[in-house]
Amino acid sequence: MSPEHPIYLEDKLEEIRGSGRLGYRSKSLPTWCPGCGYYSMTEGVTWALNEIGLRNEDVVIVSGIGCASRFPFFMETYGFHTLHGRTLPVATGIKVANDKLTVVVVGGDGDGFAIGGGHIPHVARRNVDITYLLFDNGIYGLTKGQVSPTSAIGFTTSTSPFENHDQPLNPLMMLLSYGASWVGQAYAGQPGHLAEMIRAAIKHRGFSYLHILSPCVTFDKTDRTYRNLDFSVRNLPEDHDHSNRLAAIREATKVDRPAVGLYYVENRPTLSDTLDEVMIRAGGKPAEQAGAG
Amino acid sequence: MHHVIIGNGVAGSHAASVLRERDPGSQITIISAGALLFYNRYDLPDLFRGRCDWVDYLVYPPAFYEENKIKLRRKSLVTEVDTNKRTLTLAHREVVTYDQLLVATGGVAYVPERLLDSIPLMHGFNNFRVAMAMREALPDGGVVIMLGGDALGLDLARTLIETNYKVVVVAGDRTFWPHELTQETRSSYLQALEKMHLDVVDGKQVDRVEQSNGTGPARRVVFDDGSDLTGDVVLPFYGLAPSVDFMSHAGIDIERGVLVNPQLQTTRDDIWAAGDVCQIWSPEHNTYRFYYGWKNVKTMGDVAARNMTGDDVTFTTAVDEILQLKPDGTIYSPFWEYD
Amino acid sequence: MTSIHTDVQIGICGSAGDGTIAVGDILKRAMARAGYRVIAFDEYPAEIRGFGKCVARTRITTEQVYSMKPKTDVLVSLNDAHAIPHAEEVRDFGAVIYDSAPITMIDEGWHISGHLNPGQLPYGLPMREISEQATGSSRSRNIVALGFVAGLYQLPRQAFIDAIAAKFQTKAAEVTQSNVAAFNAGYDNGAEIYRFDKVEVGPPARRTRVHDSTMMTGNAAVVRGCLDAGIETFFGYPITPATSIMERLAVEMPKHGARLLQTEDEISAISATVGAGFAGARAATATSGPGFALMSEMMGLGVMAEVPAVVFVSQRGGPSTGMPTKTEQADLNIAVFGGHGDAKRIVLAPTNVEGCWRCAGRAFEMAEAYQTPVVVLLDLYLSNRYETVVFPNKNPFVRDAWKRPTQDNANEPYRRFELTADGISPRAVPGDPHGIHTATGLEHNEFGRPNDLSAMHFQMTEKRHEKLNAALKHPGITIYKRFGDTGEVDVGLLAWGSTFGETLEAMLLARAEGIRCAAMKVVMLSPLPVKPIKRFLKDCKEVIVPELNYEGQFANLVSGAVGRDVIRFNRVTGKPMAVNEILDTIRSAAGKRKLRKSAA
Repeated sequence: MSPEHPIYLEDKLEEIRGSGRLGYRSKSLPTWCPGCGYYSMTEGVTWALNEIGLRNEDVVIVSGIGCASRFPFFMETYGFHTLHGRTLPVATGIKVANDKLTVVVVGGDGDGFAIGGGHIPHVARRNVDITYLLFDNGIYGLTKGQVSPTSAIGFTTSTSPFENHDQPLNPLMMLLSYGASWVGQAYAGQPGHLAEMIRAAIKHRGFSYLHILSPCVTFDKTDRTYRNLDFSVRNLPEDHDHSNRLAAIREATKVDRPAVGLYYVENRPTLSDTLDEVMIRAGGKPAEQAGAG
Repeated sequence: MHHVIIGNGVAGSHAASVLRERDPGSQITIISAGALLFYNRYDLPDLFRGRCDWVDYLVYPPAFYEENKIKLRRKSLVTEVDTNKRTLTLAHREVVTYDQLLVATGGVAYVPERLLDSIPLMHGFNNFRVAMAMREALPDGGVVIMLGGDALGLDLARTLIETNYKVVVVAGDRTFWPHELTQETRSSYLQALEKMHLDVVDGKQVDRVEQSNGTGPARRVVFDDGSDLTGDVVLPFYGLAPSVDFMSHAGIDIERGVLVNPQLQTTRDDIWAAGDVCQIWSPEHNTYRFYYGWKNVKTMGDVAARNMTGDDVTFTTAVDEILQLKPDGTIYSPFWEYD
Repeated sequence: MTSIHTDVQIGICGSAGDGTIAVGDILKRAMARAGYRVIAFDEYPAEIRGFGKCVARTRITTEQVYSMKPKTDVLVSLNDAHAIPHAEEVRDFGAVIYDSAPITMIDEGWHISGHLNPGQLPYGLPMREISEQATGSSRSRNIVALGFVAGLYQLPRQAFIDAIAAKFQTKAAEVTQSNVAAFNAGYDNGAEIYRFDKVEVGPPARRTRVHDSTMMTGNAAVVRGCLDAGIETFFGYPITPATSIMERLAVEMPKHGARLLQTEDEISAISATVGAGFAGARAATATSGPGFALMSEMMGLGVMAEVPAVVFVSQRGGPSTGMPTKTEQADLNIAVFGGHGDAKRIVLAPTNVEGCWRCAGRAFEMAEAYQTPVVVLLDLYLSNRYETVVFPNKNPFVRDAWKRPTQDNANEPYRRFELTADGISPRAVPGDPHGIHTATGLEHNEFGRPNDLSAMHFQMTEKRHEKLNAALKHPGITIYKRFGDTGEVDVGLLAWGSTFGETLEAMLLARAEGIRCAAMKVVMLSPLPVKPIKRFLKDCKEVIVPELNYEGQFANLVSGAVGRDVIRFNRVTGKPMAVNEILDTIRSAAGKRKLRKSAA
């Protein structure tokens, strides 16, 4: 994906400084490995927040454990760096406490689909209005390279020295079948598209799940590399009907040629809507919420 | 071996103790229609001396039953006996099986048929509850009308007189029951009652008992000649009728009471009877006879229990004379004594 | 009027289908309406459906009492097969009431009248027949039995009729009418019976106005405390015996504009609670031992990130699934110590129903004020037992009890975890433009940035511990209290949780026997009020710690803190402590003391 025109650093810096995106970056410098896909994600999140025009204090980034865990520290927003696998229920609590907040959850494949896998269906079915940016590099990076639930069969890691023999999960299919109301996929090697997808995910009212394919540049030199991904990643067919869940699932089955784009979207009541409905049915009225004001 | 005793009076309770002593390993159940443990009915006139807590009348403390492993089933009325299956049916529809049965149900106050309608207006004195109710209905110094005036009634009467109540005895055939009198002795006994400061109405038949009008005493006894008599309470003391109804289909011989031989065994060899409920064959009188009074009844319990546990003893009465005229002209009965 | 000091315990036993708990409920509510003090504890079957055994026990007194009596005065059997094993609970000269005209034949030995001790008084009542006569159906035999009890002891009829009407207010009017008819039929029957038992019920001591005094369970009091404290979010997962907290909140919270969510597990429940606490809401969850074990890790995050959260833990028999419908006090260790790292938290253990309300309300204040998870430790006995509670007219609980950032140094970067003299930092929540920060489970500096330098870890650990000391002086809650003799005593009792009720009763009985003794309840288990406990122990020649666990978890806690061993009195029967057993222990401790004295 080489750019058609050369990009000069000074021009780029000027553009970034002028854009206002840096207002969402904290003074802490990221600690990820050079070349890591999280840079694209950080870039995408700041761009999206800036594009949408959210106030810093109205955004909460929730992370768990893994390479994503430090993500909130690099953002000039509220952040909660929580426990391994517990990002989604914590984010649910934040959203239930205060609807006005924009809650973005960041996490990796181990945090989301291994230890935290039990929470995903429930966040999806309740349609909690949060955005889940799942960074899938198919490996445990922070603990220096162990097999993950999305590692390919045959992948050799420090804890699968004789090759991984477990079928990898298909997160997109899972989310589609769990009833997530917004499901999309992006690739860290396409930062522009990734940023657009992040913006769309955040803007979606309801639970949005963005699956972000990325290499682990440090612990995976063979399998999910930029080279391999550049080769295999495709766009969703132009005629893909993102209101058709079955069509989305069909696309999600094509794991050898992962497609980026919006798989599925629907509008339905969010958890907040449901809880407000409960209040009305109980004869109460929605109260002034926590932290507001 | 399961010994079942129906009745929780002197005969039944004493029999249970003797059974336990002679057959330590057996199961003993006393089935009683009443709510209380065995208590001394003979003492009930003491209610008028301020002894009003039923606990004070208990012959045995609750622990006695536990220590002697005697199961006492109270508020359990036997409605039927099946002598072939050896089962009893209780009013609450439970069936109890027995190996040996002792019937010691005693008797209830006999009321002549013409007065049956008046029963709700009469008091009783044959258990703690009704005795207590009678006491509560009787104002201080009030008038007690005793219809009949059997030996049990006269025992109560002497206490009432001592405690400043007025007692009127309406005499008739069953006055002094079960003591049998001739025409001459009867008049001397009636005189004795007056010596004991009882009022006596004789020669009149009671027709009915009524609620009296107005502010005076609560009851009116109307005689068949239309005359009447008012009092605060009216009690029938016409003697006892054995409680045998539940045995009527049991296939054992019953006359008025359950007929037993001098060993107190009924016509079935696994069923005995003792106390006021049984009529004992008296070879001497060549008839079946009732014997009353604490001592006789207790002896019957003893005899039955012994024979139920392999002995072969016969009942002989300790006290056969029911009433005596004392030198001072008053009446006395050895039945009024107990140990 | 002669004043009989009323102290009657009535047990009603039947199967789940007999309406046992329902009539127990009417009984306790009626007596509370009539102005008596009531304490009640129902036993439910562990089985979900069918004919499992229920026992509703109600103790009715003139003055407030603290526990159930070991012996019941009156037992009503609605199902003899279930009630037979409970007949022995009835005291001598107490009463047993049963159906004297069952519809079917009974096998030998299966009627309760055959199982009474000689000292107990039987009352046979044709409940079914009376119900059929009064209502045309046998369904109301439980109400007939209740009416009989009320008539037998001349309890105030109208209070029962009112309680029945209240119970069935949501049903058709005929339902109330028919139940009142059944009650009256039973009442008239009972009123006519000559009583041989020695059970006396006197008039209530003073007319307590109905609206002043409320009858409720510990869990209901927790709910009321939550609502009075302005709870905003609740996340929970069903678990006996805590579920009824969530069930009641689910009804009440939406009325007050508050939100409740049943989560997919306890991990999610505590996570969402901590999330909501982070976002500034008054948030709580409720669970029992097994669920609390799952919450341990998140409790640690709450401590580390200094997030307010309230966790109600109602203990049951354990470990593992253990005895879900039986009571125990074996989760003190996990409540106080559970979790990894130096994760000190506040633990409150109320001793009675009123305390459940107070601890619940104050727990929200404390969580906010000291920025920490607060555990309110109940047990099944306390959760489910009913007491009459008199609430103050004014809601005492303080809202917004936390220290916020001042605008003085708005230009300086915000220090979420500022090291202050009392260890409490100004807390900002999302939405506040001046308080932007990231909270983290990593050790961090004052700004919340990850930092694992030795000095920083020490300072922050110290801060997290020492800030909790302020809770020992938190206003409006009694965290310990001494009862009984003042000054030096021969025997001192130290107790916590529901067991304090039995302990106090036993202590009062021992005093009546002439033993010099005192009892102290400890409500705050962490931080432990060590100084007052030490002062109390100094006064006591012997110290007994009665509790419902095997090793003596509270005894260990106290011994460790004060450096003195105590007499452990432990029971793990699944049932509340028996007053007479504590009393025996007091006697023997006092006796031992005397022996030693005479030997010296």
